[in-house]
This record gives sequence, structure tokens and C-alpha cells, in this order.
Amino acid sequence: MSEDAVRLIPADEGSWRLEAYLRRGGYEAARRAVTSMAPADIIAEVRRAGLRGRGGAGFPAGLKWSFVPQGVGGPKYLCVNADEGEPGTFKDRAILVRDPHRLLEGMVIAAFAVGIRTAVIYVRGEYERIAGRLRAAVAEAEGAGFLGRTIFGSEFGLDVVIHFGAGAYICGEETALLESIEGRRGAPRLKPPFPAVVGLFRSPTVINNVETLAHVPSIIGRGADWFMSLGLPKDCGTRLFSVSGAVRRPGLYELPTGIPLRTLIEDHAGGPPEGVSVKAVIPGGLSAPVLRADELETHLDFESMALACSMAGSAGVIVIGDRTPMLEVLGVMSRFYAHESCGQCTPCRIGTSWIHRTVTRIAAGQGRRGDLDLILSLADGIKGRTLCPMGDAAALPIRALVTKFRGELEQAAER
Amino acid sequence: MSYAPSAAVLARIDRAVAAYPERSAALLPVLHLIQEESGWIPPEAEVWTADKLGLRPVRVREVLSFYTMFRRRPAGRTVIQICRNLSCTLAGAEEVIAAVRRELGLGAGADTTADGAVTLVTVECLGNCDHAPCLQVDGVDRGPVTRESAAAIVKELRGR
Amino acid sequence: MSGTKTVALTIDGRTVTAVEGANVLRAAERAGIDIPHFCYHPAFAAEGNCRMCLVEIEGLPKLELACSTPVREGLVVRTATERVTQARRDVLEFLLADHPLDCPICDKAGECKLQDHYDRYGRFPGRFVEAKQKKDKLVRIGRGLVLDRERCILCTRCVRFLRNVTGTGELGVFERGARAEIGVFEGAPVDNSYAGNLVDICPVGAITAEDFRFRTRAWFLARNPSVCPHCSRGCAVIVESVSGYPLPGGKRRVYRITAGENPAVNGYWICDLGRAGRRDIDEGRAAGLLKKGVPVDGGPWQKALTEVTAAIKAVPVSDRPARIAVILNARLTCEELVRAKRLFVTGLGLGRVFFADRKPGAADSLLLTTERVPNARGVLDSGLEARPPLLEDLAGITALLVFGSGLAEHFPEEAIGRTLAAIPSKFLFAAHAGPFDRLFDLAFPVAVPPEKSGTYINVAGVRQSFGRALVAPAGAVPEGEILTGLAQGLGIDLGDPDVR
Repeated sequence: MSEDAVRLIPADEGSWRLEAYLRRGGYEAARRAVTSMAPADIIAEVRRAGLRGRGGAGFPAGLKWSFVPQGVGGPKYLCVNADEGEPGTFKDRAILVRDPHRLLEGMVIAAFAVGIRTAVIYVRGEYERIAGRLRAAVAEAEGAGFLGRTIFGSEFGLDVVIHFGAGAYICGEETALLESIEGRRGAPRLKPPFPAVVGLFRSPTVINNVETLAHVPSIIGRGADWFMSLGLPKDCGTRLFSVSGAVRRPGLYELPTGIPLRTLIEDHAGGPPEGVSVKAVIPGGLSAPVLRADELETHLDFESMALACSMAGSAGVIVIGDRTPMLEVLGVMSRFYAHESCGQCTPCRIGTSWIHRTVTRIAAGQGRRGDLDLILSLADGIKGRTLCPMGDAAALPIRALVTKFRGELEQAAER
Repeated sequence: MSYAPSAAVLARIDRAVAAYPERSAALLPVLHLIQEESGWIPPEAEVWTADKLGLRPVRVREVLSFYTMFRRRPAGRTVIQICRNLSCTLAGAEEVIAAVRRELGLGAGADTTADGAVTLVTVECLGNCDHAPCLQVDGVDRGPVTRESAAAIVKELRGR
Repeated sequence: MSGTKTVALTIDGRTVTAVEGANVLRAAERAGIDIPHFCYHPAFAAEGNCRMCLVEIEGLPKLELACSTPVREGLVVRTATERVTQARRDVLEFLLADHPLDCPICDKAGECKLQDHYDRYGRFPGRFVEAKQKKDKLVRIGRGLVLDRERCILCTRCVRFLRNVTGTGELGVFERGARAEIGVFEGAPVDNSYAGNLVDICPVGAITAEDFRFRTRAWFLARNPSVCPHCSRGCAVIVESVSGYPLPGGKRRVYRITAGENPAVNGYWICDLGRAGRRDIDEGRAAGLLKKGVPVDGGPWQKALTEVTAAIKAVPVSDRPARIAVILNARLTCEELVRAKRLFVTGLGLGRVFFADRKPGAADSLLLTTERVPNARGVLDSGLEARPPLLEDLAGITALLVFGSGLAEHFPEEAIGRTLAAIPSKFLFAAHAGPFDRLFDLAFPVAVPPEKSGTYINVAGVRQSFGRALVAPAGAVPEGEILTGLAQGLGIDLGDPDVR
């Protein structure tokens, strides 16, 4: 099998079409899974491969699939999280536009393994104009019998519905995503119950990120051992790293997990432009606590990032150059979380707004002594107290930024 | 003054509704379709949608007001979206926004041109960060832009 | 879902038993341990948005919500640790950040959860120095309710009540983040007969009733339980009144009726008809003893009652069944009905004993019954026959005793005048002034149900005894005392009033 067959984003633009995908070995893994594998064995293989969620939380995919109760009647759903709202992340977009069949094949395998017959692809509203290929790919797959009533002539069928969001970062949170599909505000649900048991339309539901599912055909096709040979023992396979900001070559880089951040930034993305040095890097989407320039040896895997008090997250790497005032970064951050808070729970609703208003006042030249300590304290009031993970997603990066760049922020505030 | 979608849009609405196990779940796609045709979602359309989906109008308004892509007021025929999130700000988004506002002649606090033709909206991350600063015209990506190229896009739009 | 199995858990070092499936918050409450909260209400599933009830659960790293954590055997809960204390302070500080300093003008003051929790769990100086968000403070949302969006803490109890209890769903949450606000769709205001409960359940002064706004202060109110007399559901109510200060001239006023809790009858709610019953207590009351409509200043009512007994005695015993008529009503308590039966039926042998009451109305699917009287079952239970009077029944009689204001419901106005004119002796015992008072030889003011103690039997056969929630205005007497006085004057032994 050529390298193209396992690379998530094929080099050739035309490779997205079904015939090109088939030439790359497409739908062979799905055929094998649906016609000759037991669903439990598929789940076991994906578990063995150690595929971790690629949306941000890194939850083991196979384990999540195994939470769905088997032997109960009624519908089950697979929701594909293509909301991609984490700032600095643009990998799922690339899969949707350049390798949609790989996603669909992963969906077929996952749905078959869990006993699901309806899949909803939740695409953020801002991608509506580029969703044409995804729609076309679904039509192609249905036409070829890879989706629809009887897949590969078996009794297994899978219907795909594409549902568009409408501008709410919070809908990337899995229960808010479900609420949105059900026609409501994207207000996250209390857990338990967990979606695997009570999910979409109260039925058992698996929610997976686009990239997570895109890895499944290779795992089934080439085996878990192959997947485990890439990356690290506890964090296997490759990831699509979205690199942007102060680098010469912003873009997507598919690399094994666990490479040092410096390697990604300098060797792959060309390092900072002429005359600019790196001041800080956000390694996993805006919600991943910032790393200073002296922390670039940190490896890009879940454990290393956690040990560095950051997170691998969505692998959205934003490089900040030395000419960028950190107050400006703080301003963007605090505005974003205040804007995206769903407003349901007290600490996030009010905490993000209070922080944003404080930062705005500082940026307007009316900072007061104690403002930065206040921001830290407010972040602590949000952290760990909220109904959904967005509280931490707001509090932790703000906290890290204020702590690690305290001196610079204090100087800026005093001006 | 009541609302009704065109026959073509109504057909698409009916198809969308049929795709969901519960009618009321089709609320987002229906609102998208209405806005695509009308440019915004007036209160009469909220009432129409509520009736169509077996919902109370207040539920439609909840969704309409929650999601930022839905417009409760008329917008210009053309909508320009510029991202202000981190990668785009690092690449100079604020200068682009200022240039576009100047080019459109927007006064402080205004987001639609005096002749009602163009609306400027600043948004959060559009998921196109390697093409920062990101600018969309009617949902179509036109990034990366500079102050100059963004102003040129506006001139071209105004020339239409 | 929750069976009857009980489990033992530890809360703050104390062993507490609870029914399996209950939540920690309720289990703690029942054990006398207060866990502050805003959005939780036992009538609804846990919502988890206020975050005030966070507690420590042993074995779990983060603080957890008491309202949505089910009890289980061996659970160890701590509500008084430094982490919990800090978490409560943080929630309070967040809520108070944009909250307007309205206490001096806010009706909820004195019964506001935000005040109460801050007083008990807060007491720290606030650090918010930004400009508070300005929002609409006088949004009329329907049914005489006013929404103040600055005060609202978005607990969504109101939204959930209208979705889950009345099923009418008029309120929604618009916008998001700190701009989120409660509202109705134009042209679709709150419009159901349980809207008054929204004021009860709002933990702060965000939803207030125009009927109550700015009229008094919560700490002046005496709150006494009673049973609502406006239909036969018999909902538990709280009569909230002020007698004397700060009202001038020693007046008494009932400011509102709120819902009492009774799991066996009305749960947590009452309908707006019951709340409107406030007016029934204070307004249009018979001011004093009247003689043919003219106020009598002739001493205690017992003395005037001798005129009634005299009129009854004047009718020969053998004529009494045909010549004396009594009209009772189903607002009388069981005890009063028993006395009435022993006096009029057993004692006097009267045959013309009738019931004139409010006409039935439409029932709703929740609490309101078609019967608009509290004690129809009590009438049945007493053995009296609940016959409504016909005009013929009052023809050719010599004496008439009317208890209550039901005549006007039953007969056309001019018919009443004609009929009464033909009766030599007629006496009225009513709580409210009426257009026919002047037609009666004597009109005695009586108490309304909250001014009495007694028992009602509701539509489902539930017996409910209630004590006096109010002191009756001077001169107004419970019908029971009238009946006892009549019996004494007639030499009739009513026996033990508690024996049926």
C-alpha cells in the first residue's frame, strides 16, 4: 500500500473522489469489517490500537464505543463532530474537503462495530460553503453501496445526515452538539447520564471527532500493531497538527505523536519569519495553556503536555512572535470565551464576562493594581466548578498566560 | 404581514424536516434555509417556522438568538466576515478590519453601509488559520488578505 | 426509579439515612443540614446551573453538585470544608457582580435566596469594579407579573416550571453568555392560571407580582397556613397578612396568598384563583350587624341572635318542617356541618335545608376542580343532602336563615326581592356585604374560612384540619359559633362536636 493510502490528507486535490479513493485502497477495510469481522472484534482492535480522540479530550475511542449498551432495542446514533471551533485548528476542514471518503469509511466501520444505523455529521455553519465535496462523497458512497440500506450487500445499513451548526463554539462540546442537532440552544447537559447511554434523541450515541474516525480505516486495514508502531506507546498513531501564527509555513502537518514542539515549528513549519523570534506557543488550540519559548522541548503528546501543565488538545499550534504584546493575546482570549459562553452556569457566564471586561479596561489604559491577581482569582472561581469543560477551557489558558507573562502584562497595565 | 418561503425553499425545508426523527429537531436547518433566501429571519418567519415544526415561537427565538450566524435584523445584500481570533490578529486582522470599515465608510458603531448594501461582521475563528487574516464574502473564503487586498475586495464589491 | 430501599451515608461526619435514588441535597435537608442552592427545586429534575450546591464527595477529585449526586450506601459527603466554603463564596461573588443593588426597593428583600445565602455563606467585600450591565427592569410578561432582567440569575426555574408543570412554555432563554436573558415572544405572554407560582419559585426579585409590588415588606408579614376554600382541591396555602404596624389605625390586610406544600394534595403549587382569594378575605366584607340594611349598634351578636331564636320559637313545632327554611353552603367546615345537622335536622326536624353555592366552573388538568367549594365531600360526610333551593321551596315559609352569599348565584335579582318580601322573618349570616342585605331583618357578619379553624374534606376524600390563619374583623363570627348560640337559645343539645 502506498504512503498515500494511509496519509490522512492526500497530496493530490482530485484524490477526494470515490474512484481515486478506491485506487488508494479505499473501503477495503470497511468491506472486511462488515463482511467478515465481529463487531466486538472491531472494537477490541481499535481499543488495542490505543486510538485517542483527536477533538481535544483525547478519550480512547474504542473504550467510548464499548460504553454503548448492546442488546437493547431502539435506535443508536453516531455523531461526527465536525464543529472544529477550537481556534488555531483547521484539520477536520481538510479531511472534509480533501479526504471525505476516509471519514465516511471510518464512520461505516465504527457504526457497524457499535450497531448504529444512523450517523449525523455535525458541520460547523461556517463550513457550509465548503461542504459540497462532503455531500458529493456521501452521494457517491450511497451510489456505490458503501452507505445506505445494505452495505456491501449485507444486512447492515447506515444513513448519513449532514447537520450544520450556526456559529457557536460550545457546540463542539459533545452534549451541546446533541442539543443543537435536536433543535435547541447549545447548552451542555449534565452528565451522567453519558451520551453512550442517553444521547441523541435519548438514544445511545457515540460522538467522535472527524480525525478520530478518519484513522479507523487504517487501523482495521493495516492492523492495530501498525498503528501502535507510530507515535508513542500510550498515544499511538499520527496526528494532524494545524500550525499557524508567526511561522514561515503555516499549514497542516501529519506527524507521529510525540515529536518535540520545536521540531514541528522549526523543522516542519519553517520557524518564525525573518527578524522575529518565538515568544510563546499555544500547543493544542486556544484552550491549551501557553508555553514559553523556553518550553519548546515539550513533546506533542497527551502525557508530556499534561506534565507541562498544558494539553495536547486539538493539536492547533499557534506560534506567537516576540513583537506581539501578550496583552493583545489576553484580550483575544478573554473576548472569545466571553462571547462563546453559553450562559447556562454561573461561573462561566459571569466569570468570562468579568474577566473580559477587566482586560478591556486594562487595554484601554485604565488598569489598576490588583487586576491581574483578580483575573487569576476569577479563573480559579471558574476552574473545576462549571457544568461543562468549557469552564476549564477558558480558565486554564487565561491563568497560564497571566502567570507566565506576568511581568510583561504588569508593565503594559501600568502604561 | 405574514411570511412564506418560496416553493423551492419550501421543498428543501420539507426534505430537511423529513431527515429528522422529530420535526422540531429540524429547526437549525430550516432557519438556515429561510435566511439563505431572505437574508435574515423576521418575526413572521419565526412564527411560520414554529407552526411548521410544532414548536412555540419562543423556542424558535431561543435558537435564533443563541447562534450568531442567524440574523434577527436585515443585513446587507453582501455580508463580509472578518475573523478576529488569535492567528488572524497575529497576522494583522485589526488593521484589515479598520481598512475595510474605512473603505465601506462605516461610522463608529455601524456595521451596515448607509445604502444597506454591505454588512461587515467580525467573527471568531473560521477554521482557516493557515490563511490568516481570514475574510469571507457571503461565506466564501477570500483569505489571506492584507489591508490593501481587503480594500480591493471591497472596491470590487461596491463596483458591482 | 427510586424504590423504598434506604441507604446510609455520611454527611459532615453524621450518619444520615435516605431513600435510594434521592439526591444528596434533599437527604441533607431532611437531616437538617442546609446546602445552599438556587436552581434546584424538588419538583424538577436537577438542572445544575447555579453551581451553588457544590460539595466534597470523598473519592472524587472535583467538587460535585449535591442536587444531582444520588445517595448510595457509604457515600461520604462534606459540606463545610474550606474548598466548599470558597466555592460558595465564588458563586455568590459572581452572582452579585452584575446584580443591581436593589434591595432597598426590591420586594424580595427579606425572603431572597441571594440575600440569605450571602448573609450566611458570604459576607465578603465584593471586588467587582466594572460597570454593571444594564438590562430591562420592568418587563411585563403577562398575568400581572413583572420581570427585572438585571436581578435575574438565570436559574431557569421559571422556564422549567412553565415547560414541565403547566406545559405552556411561554418563557425562554434568549441570547447567550452574560447577555442571556429570560423573555416571552411578543404576543405570547405568560397566560395560564398557575403563573403566580413563578413569583414563589423565583429565588430572587426577578419575577414579582404587580399585585404585591411596593406594598409591604416581607418581614412585616405574618404567615399562617390554611386550606384554600375556592375549589374542592383543598390546596395548602399560606395566608400572609399584616395586623397593626405598619398599617395605620390598627388595620389588618392580607397581602398575598402563597402556596403551601402538601405532597398529598397540591404538591408545591396553587392556582391563581386561590391567590386571588386574597380579595375574598379583605374586600367587600360585611362591616357589622345590620337591621334591614341599617347598621345596628346594639351590643354583642349573641344578643341579636335572640331575635333569631325568637322567630324560630314563634313557629309551632309541627309547622316547623314546612315553614322554616335554612340555606347552608359548602364553605362550612365539617364541624359546622355536623352542628347544623344536629340543630336543624335532628333538633328542629326541619325538612327545608338547602345548599346554595358558587356555580361549578371548568376544571383544569392540574389542581382546579369543577366544584368551586371546599367542602362538598364534607356535606356528604355529614349526612346532609346537598339540595340546591328552588323558588318554590321558599314559598309560604315563615322563617328563613341564609348562611353565605349564595342566593345571588341561584336566583334572579328581582325574584329574590319578591321571595324575601313574602317571608316574615329572614336572617342572613354572610361574610361579605351584598345587594340584598337590606331585605333581611338581621344580617350577621361571619368569618371567612382562613379566619376559622376546622376540617374540610377535599375532592379525593382527604381530610384536612386547619387552624385560624387570621383573626376575624371585630364582630365577624365563625358560623359554628352562630350555630352553637342558636342551639343554646333553642335548648337543643348539639352533643360532642367532635363526634360524627
